[in-house]
Amino acid sequence: MFQRCDGIGRRDVLRVGGLGALGISLFSGRQPRPALAGAPRAKACILLWLDGGPSHLETLDVKPDAPSEVRGPFRPIPTRVTGTFVSEVLPNTAKITDKIAIIRSMTSPFGEHGLANEYLLSGHQPTPVLHYPSYGSVVAKMRDNASDLPAYVAIPDVDAPAGHGFLGSEFGPFAIGGDPSKIDFRVRDLDFYPGVNSHRMQRRRDMVAQLERFQRAADFGSLTVDRGPDSRFEQAYRMVTSPQTKRAFDLSAEPQDVRAKYGLGFFGQSCLMARRLIESGVAFVTVNFTGWDTHDSLVLRLKDGYSGAKVGVGLAPTFDHGFASLVEDLADRGMLDHTLVIAMGEFGRTPKLNTRDGRDHWPRVFSLVMAGGGVHPGIVVGASDAIGESPADRPVTPSDLAYTIYYLLGIDPAFELHTSDGRPVPVNQGGQLVKELLA
Amino acid sequence: MISAVVWLLICGPVVNTSSDFDTEIMPVLTRSGCNVGSCHGAAAGRGGFHLSLLGGDVDADYSAIVQQFEGRRINLAHPEKSLLLRKPTLEVDHEGGHAIQPEGAERLLSWIAAGAPRVRARTLKNFECDASHHLVEQIGEQVALRAVAHFDHGTSEDVSAWTVFVATDPATVTLDASTRTATILRRGQHTIIARYLDRVIPIRIALPLSDVPVDHSREPIANFIDEHILRTLTDLRLTVSPVADDATYLRRVTLDLIGRLPTREETVAFLAGDGDASTRRRERVDRLLESDTFAKYWTYHVLNLLRVVPTPNDRHAAQAYHTWMLQQIRNRVPMNQIARELLTAVGDTHQVGPANFSRSSPDARAQAELVSRAFMGVRMQCANCHNHPLDRWTQDDYHGLAAVFARLERGEVVKLTRQGAVTNVRTGERAIPRIPGLRYLPVDEDGRETLADWLASPENPYFARSFVNRLWRGAFGRGLVEPPDDMRATNPATHPELLDHLAFDFIEHGYDLRHTLRRIVNSVTYARSGATDNVNRDDDRFYSHALQRPLEPAVLADALYDATGVSDTYGDEPKGTRAVELVDILTPSEALDTLGRCSRNESCENVLVSGSLPTKLHQLNGDLVNRKVVSPDGYLHRLLATNAETADIVADIYLRALSRPPTDTERDYWLEQIFAAELDHRVQILEDIQWGVLNCSEFLLNH
Repeated sequence: MFQRCDGIGRRDVLRVGGLGALGISLFSGRQPRPALAGAPRAKACILLWLDGGPSHLETLDVKPDAPSEVRGPFRPIPTRVTGTFVSEVLPNTAKITDKIAIIRSMTSPFGEHGLANEYLLSGHQPTPVLHYPSYGSVVAKMRDNASDLPAYVAIPDVDAPAGHGFLGSEFGPFAIGGDPSKIDFRVRDLDFYPGVNSHRMQRRRDMVAQLERFQRAADFGSLTVDRGPDSRFEQAYRMVTSPQTKRAFDLSAEPQDVRAKYGLGFFGQSCLMARRLIESGVAFVTVNFTGWDTHDSLVLRLKDGYSGAKVGVGLAPTFDHGFASLVEDLADRGMLDHTLVIAMGEFGRTPKLNTRDGRDHWPRVFSLVMAGGGVHPGIVVGASDAIGESPADRPVTPSDLAYTIYYLLGIDPAFELHTSDGRPVPVNQGGQLVKELLA
Repeated sequence: MISAVVWLLICGPVVNTSSDFDTEIMPVLTRSGCNVGSCHGAAAGRGGFHLSLLGGDVDADYSAIVQQFEGRRINLAHPEKSLLLRKPTLEVDHEGGHAIQPEGAERLLSWIAAGAPRVRARTLKNFECDASHHLVEQIGEQVALRAVAHFDHGTSEDVSAWTVFVATDPATVTLDASTRTATILRRGQHTIIARYLDRVIPIRIALPLSDVPVDHSREPIANFIDEHILRTLTDLRLTVSPVADDATYLRRVTLDLIGRLPTREETVAFLAGDGDASTRRRERVDRLLESDTFAKYWTYHVLNLLRVVPTPNDRHAAQAYHTWMLQQIRNRVPMNQIARELLTAVGDTHQVGPANFSRSSPDARAQAELVSRAFMGVRMQCANCHNHPLDRWTQDDYHGLAAVFARLERGEVVKLTRQGAVTNVRTGERAIPRIPGLRYLPVDEDGRETLADWLASPENPYFARSFVNRLWRGAFGRGLVEPPDDMRATNPATHPELLDHLAFDFIEHGYDLRHTLRRIVNSVTYARSGATDNVNRDDDRFYSHALQRPLEPAVLADALYDATGVSDTYGDEPKGTRAVELVDILTPSEALDTLGRCSRNESCENVLVSGSLPTKLHQLNGDLVNRKVVSPDGYLHRLLATNAETADIVADIYLRALSRPPTDTERDYWLEQIFAAELDHRVQILEDIQWGVLNCSEFLLNH
């Protein structure tokens, strides 16, 4: 067998043919290959998805020396790492820069939300013929889930680009479906139907088990019926009866000062719930934080939150509270080493302010921040040019990012997934490891 | 060190007659893997060198090799210095590594030495392998693969060395490329695909699944289906499971033919029936096929199979569409006639039901894709951007089929206009209407009529085969070709002769839906039990036993209604409306939202009980089942109100949900559970038994 350009043997390329006839055995024998040197650092991942595309210039990539229309409304502040500055709207993040890594040279060709979402959330450049699975779904597919909870949870829910793609709905996110900061928040169908308690639920489950046993014991002569037990029934049952599940979703178990530290709104409480879920064995949590598409009024949207605010409650302070508290809390609990935290959106914003004091879409360079899970703390990778227009150093593509995320999670980026019609698709295509990010 | 090419020049038997580019050089490139999608066959090429995918475009490839890159890929003065040779022999750096064998390099060299001409000496007429079906005896046995090409002018040539052989499952068969032998590693039926130029042939190799021969000569045979199935089972030495009992058969055939559970009365009467079991079953089948419920269910089902979706929020259009289809099924209109109408109808979609078919596609290309999937069982969308890598479809076919529909205006009124065209992305010019794979159509006539004539004609190789394959899949849970909308030579049927026979029989009997369904459900194969022995347990495609299939969402919703007597709410529809009878599949419904809907946008053929976690959670804790078991209007509580015997209540739960009475053991067990409980808990326990029955696999599966 000759090696192909990308290391794929010819038979792999042509294997697509004839899957219908005898293909199923193809999948059964293939196990994830632990082809990576060294043990993975990250057992779990929390993605803080800043939907809409946060401005790099108002957050992680300040340009104090640039002209005012580039510099924008906010001042830079020093951070824990000498020589690294962030925007004044991120004071708590500034205090934990010794625990995080900032990438300032992300670059992508897509300046439209839909395509950019698909690229950033999967690491694959979008194509009309295939929907690629998001990180969370790939993790759900590749990990054995021993927990009573689903492997991939979305708070409160996510759009299709963060979904299962071609992998099939069982690997999609379990959406908690509501705002966990609300006093009456409940995960749908997690609570028993009126009149049912855990005792009765257990009886029902025992009855289902008995019915399955009757089936298997039915008189088929020397033959047997191979039916059940239904693994999804069991997973759902475990989930609704497990004290672990109820506890994981129950924020009232947290001390009030911890809840307050994260921020009492949607995002802060979602970060807190993400931590609780990871603690309970969930492998991947996406917190979907929308509203970052700031085409106008940067000060109002990013800092103040409402006009006349004395203390800013806009997007940036909200993020700052939740993110910094999450990282510190994970560190305090000894979880940061094996929990990868990523905060990013689908692109950055235009270097020059527009006429509405906002910024428009800008994918050519933008920033993101990562922490924990084997990420080198206290560093800045790459740089943008003087006006935040293009990468000046060490450009990183979303595909490179994906490679690195999978590497950190111990998933072989070359591992081949298969579409429902048998087309082989590697976990990552064309990405390269961002070595600087590794601790 | 002497380079490989120079060594060839010195030692190789270089003959100075030129090779034919089209039939001798192209196979070298394909055989060496140069033009696969991950190398130079990629849409963007590789390293600046682009070849058409698997050699689909010979003209372009000749130009790429001989003319592009300032002709530097070949060196006529010093043939051995041609990049075309030095790269794949790794004389200069080549990302694809050492990709060409000596005899291939030799052929390229002699061709370049002859001036790299394109002589078009001959064209391929036919390609065949010496056997399309091998039966081997033991693991490790080898099969020699041989392929012959027949050219015009009557010449034939052994082209085994230039044929690409690929095992569809490399874990079961290994191929030695140099000796062209296949070594069989596992038991079962395996497929090797042989590809030469644009031709593809599947070769089947079977290694029996057991060492013990089976004798099926005394198995009952109801019709030709059983003959085909038993032949393969005998070859593979697979045992067969016996025919299922009456209750199982009744439940299975009722679900498959009319999409609902047998009623309690039907079950009781059928099980009490006397006389010959097979006669009783046949009569039952005839009754089901004659019933109006059949027409209603198959209206739903055919609309699903053909993936027809009404325009959202246009109730009148949905109604017209549904009414028309119901009429066709009721009146036993031949299926090819229905297809013909759908393809050609124009007019007001509120009046002319079938006109909705054209309205439902946003544009001509989408309609071409729908038509090819629905009526031909093929996926043509790959051919939008490049010739289909695994099938015969070219970009000209794809855009040509789209051009047939280009002149349609798709509003509430579907109209044929004088304008409208699609661009063939290969040529950048206006696509010429075309019957895919066959011929071009006059630009100025309405090609839809011609296309419809072609599809509906008995000679058409696609329509009947794809339709009977879908019927088969509905009845067995698996298509003879799988997936059912991906029929192609590289995806062969498990039972090719049976598929042909079913299609022939369907055409012979006037494309009659009921006829083919009757054939299938009257076969012994269909009636087999799902219980298995040690030999046939893992069989999932040779039909040695029945496969268990989840009830699809709408059928499951209706089954929950029938089992409990408590209906669900569907939008503003009257109480008691059934999910499979909904005129508009988008009607609001919590039950369908939870269980999964067929949006008909995607291939609904793959919508099963979604079984996803939220669905299961809802089945456990939500309204769907819980509300029904506690409802005072349900059968359970109505019986309780009449002070019925507890044993009769348990039997009622079983008969309605599982279409059988409980066995004595089951009945005694449940009665014991009930009477062991406090008096005021007994109702709860009965509710829980019903709940358990509605959540157990025997209920959730068509088995």
